[in-house]
Amino acid sequence: MEVTLLLLQQLSVYLVITYLLSKTPLFMPMLFISGRNSHRIACYLLFSTFCILGTYFSLSIENALANTRAIGAVMGGLMGGPVVGLAVGLTGGLHRYSMGGFTDVACMISTTCEGLIGGLLHLYYLRKGCIEKIFRPLTAMAITLFAEIVQMLIILIVAEPFDKALLLVQSIALPMIIANSVGAALFMSIIQDRKAIFEKNYNAFSNKALRIAQLSVGVFRNGFDAKSCQKIANIIHQETGVGAVSITDREKILAFIGVGDDHHLCGTVISSDYTLQAIKSGEMTYADGYSTAYQCSIHEDCKLGSVLVIPLLEADGRVLGTVKLYEPKQKMFSTLNRSLGEGLAKLISNQILLGRYIQQKNLLNQSEIRLLQAQVNPHFLFNTLNTISAVTRKDPQKARELIQHLSHFFRSNLKQNIDQVTVKEELEHVHAYLEIELARFADRLSVRENIADELLSLKIPTFTLQPLIENAIKHGTSTLIGKGELDINGYLLEQGKETLVVLEVIDNAGNYKTPTNMNSKGLGLQIVDKRIKNEYGQRYGLTMTCETGVYSKATILIPLQKRKEA
Amino acid sequence: MLKAIIIDDELYAREELNELLVETNQVQVIEQCSNAIEGLKAINCLKPDVVFLDIHMPQISGLELLSMLDQETMPKVVFVTAYDEYAVKAFEDNAFDYLLKPVESCRLLKTLKRINAERSELPNYEPIINNKLELIPCSGFNRILLLTPNEIEIAMSEQTGVHLLTEKDKFTASLSLKVLEEKTDLIRCHRQYLINPTCIREIKLLDNGSADIVTKSGHHAPVSRRYLKVIKDRFGLL
Repeated sequence: MEVTLLLLQQLSVYLVITYLLSKTPLFMPMLFISGRNSHRIACYLLFSTFCILGTYFSLSIENALANTRAIGAVMGGLMGGPVVGLAVGLTGGLHRYSMGGFTDVACMISTTCEGLIGGLLHLYYLRKGCIEKIFRPLTAMAITLFAEIVQMLIILIVAEPFDKALLLVQSIALPMIIANSVGAALFMSIIQDRKAIFEKNYNAFSNKALRIAQLSVGVFRNGFDAKSCQKIANIIHQETGVGAVSITDREKILAFIGVGDDHHLCGTVISSDYTLQAIKSGEMTYADGYSTAYQCSIHEDCKLGSVLVIPLLEADGRVLGTVKLYEPKQKMFSTLNRSLGEGLAKLISNQILLGRYIQQKNLLNQSEIRLLQAQVNPHFLFNTLNTISAVTRKDPQKARELIQHLSHFFRSNLKQNIDQVTVKEELEHVHAYLEIELARFADRLSVRENIADELLSLKIPTFTLQPLIENAIKHGTSTLIGKGELDINGYLLEQGKETLVVLEVIDNAGNYKTPTNMNSKGLGLQIVDKRIKNEYGQRYGLTMTCETGVYSKATILIPLQKRKEA
Repeated sequence: MLKAIIIDDELYAREELNELLVETNQVQVIEQCSNAIEGLKAINCLKPDVVFLDIHMPQISGLELLSMLDQETMPKVVFVTAYDEYAVKAFEDNAFDYLLKPVESCRLLKTLKRINAERSELPNYEPIINNKLELIPCSGFNRILLLTPNEIEIAMSEQTGVHLLTEKDKFTASLSLKVLEEKTDLIRCHRQYLINPTCIREIKLLDNGSADIVTKSGHHAPVSRRYLKVIKDRFGLL
C-alpha cells in the first residue's frame, strides 16, 4: 500500500510536467491523428521522453524499480501506431537496460511489448475506422492495465532467479498496475482537454471569420473609398472586439473606429513607421508594445498600446493600403485576433478586387448604352429628313407631327444614366420611332401592337424593345418587296413557380440567320441580351427564332418582380 | 423632254422627286417603280432616257439592277441616296451623277443640264457594278422570284422572252440572254441557248457536226457547230 501511494506521488509530479508540456506547441501534434511521418516522429520524441521520465521517477525496490515508464510506451503506441509504439518501447527499454539490475533484460523486453500493445490497439481502431476512440481515457486505462499485467508476466518468465522475481512482482505488481493505468487515463484526459479547448477556439475563430466575411460581402461595390472602409472597419471592430480598427490606402487614413478616434482622423496622412514599413515591404508588421515599443505617432497621450498592420495586396502583389488592428495599453493582443487579422486582410483585398470588377462591369454597361444611343444610324436620320421633306409639300400638319416624333425619339435616346424605365415609357420611345418608319415606308409597313395592360407599369432596362423593332424593320420588313408586317406582343407567362414578362417582336421577313459566332448577333441585339442577363441572371435575356422567309421572332424574357441585387 | 423612270422603294420619296421633276418642265416621268424588279421590267419595256435610281432597295439594290441592264441599251442613270458614304465615294471617283435626298431643286437642274449635254454619250457604269449576278429576278404568274445562277440549268431565248429551266420549273427572266452570259457562269452553246456547265450530264455528238446536251435533270439543249468547239475546249476534249 505504501508503495502504491509513493508511486502515485511520483505520478503526480510526472503528470504536472505533462500538464505543463500540454500548454506548449510541443503538444500540438498529439491533438490530431494525421498519420503523417512528421506526426509519427513528434510522437516518438515526445513519448520516448515520457518513457525515460517514467524510469527516472521510479522507486527503488529490492534492487528493481517500481516505475511509470509504461505510460509513455503505451501512449506512444496508442497515439503513433505500432511502429512508433515499438520504437518508443525499445528506446525506453534500452534506457532502462542501461540502469542495470537483475530485471534489466525483462524490463527492456516488457517495455517494448507495451509500446507494441498500444500500437496494435491504434491499428485496430484505425482499421475499424473509429480512430477517435483512442482519445477516451478509459481506453488508455484498460490497455495500460493489460500491458502492465503482460509486463509482470514477462518479468516472471525472463528475470533470474525466479524466486527473487516472484518476490519483486508480488510487491510491485499492484502499485504499478494501478499507478500506470490511472496515469495513462489522466494523461489521455489532459490530451482530451487540450483538444477540446483547441477545437472550441478553432470554432470560435472560424465562426468569427465567416461572420465577418458574410457581412463584408459587396461592401466595396462602389470602390475602395472612405465610405466602404468605414463600413468594413465597423464590422471588424464589432466582431473581433479589438480596441480600434483602421483602414488606410497608401497615403492616408480612410477609416478609423474605436479607442483614439478623437485624434486618429480620417483623411490624415499616414505617419506611423509600422504602417509605412508594411506598405513598403508588403509584409505584416506587429508592435506588441512590450518587446517592440509602440507609441502612437499622432498623439502622445494616445491610449493605444499595440498595433498589428496588415497590408492589403492586389493580385499582382502591389500594396493597396493596410488594415490596422489596435489594442489599448492595458490589453494584450490575442493570438486569435492576430491570425484573424491576416485572414481579414486577404478577405478585404479580395473584396476590393471584386468591387473593382463589378464597378468596371457597370461602367462597361453604361458605355454600352451610350453606344446603343449613338447607334442611331445616319441612314435613319437622313431617310427621316427626306420623308419629312416629301410630306411637307402635301401635308404640312403631318410633317409637323413627324418632326415632333423625331424630336421625342432623340430626346429619349439622349436620356442618360437611367437604367430602368417602365414598359409604358419604353413603348412611347418605340412609338415615336415607329411613327417615323410608318411614314417612311407608307404602304409597305403595318404594325400590330398587343401589350397586356398589367405590363405597362413594370420596369425593364432602357433600350430593350426599341433596338429589336429597329432591327426587325432594318433587316426584316424593309427588305421585303411585298408588305412588311410587324407584331409587338407583351404578356405575362406562368412558368412553374415563376412569372415571366415576355416581350416579342415578330416580323414577316424571316431573314434572321443564327450567328455562327457570338459577335455576329449584331451589336444592338447583343447588348440588349447582355444587359438583361447582367441584371436578372443567365436564364433570362433575348432569344431569336426564325423560319426563313416566313418570320423572325425576337423574344425577351424577364422575371416578374425579382430584381437581382446588383 | 427627257423620258424618265423613278425607282425608289419609298412612296413619299418617289412622289417628292416626281413633283420636283415636273416642276422643271424638262422631264416627263413615264413610270414610277417601288423596287428593282419592277424597275428592270420598266426599263426594258419603256427604254427611258434617264433613270432616277435609289440605291437601297429591298432584295435587289440599285447597283445590282444596274448590272442587270444591257450595256448597249443603257439609259443615263442618276443615283439617288439618302446616305451611303461608300456609294457616294464611288460615284465621285467615277464622275457619275448622283443626288442626295432630300433633293434640292437647283441641284436637280444642274443634273438635268448635264444629262442634256451628254445625251449622245454612252454611259459606262462598269467600275461600280458587279461582274457577277447573285440573284436573277424572274417573273412568274403573279409573283416575283429570285433564282441563284447555279439553280439554272438552261437559259433560252424564245419569242415570248428569256426562259430559265431549273431542275423542276421553267421561269421567265427579266434579263436578256446577253446579260446572263456576261454576268453569270452560264456558257453559250447556241445562238438562243445558254447552258450551266456544272449541270451537263451528256453531250451527244451528231453527224452534222452539231451536238445535243442532256442536263442532269434531263433537259435538252442544242449545241450549234459554232459553239461545239468552244465547249469541247472548255472540257479539254479534242
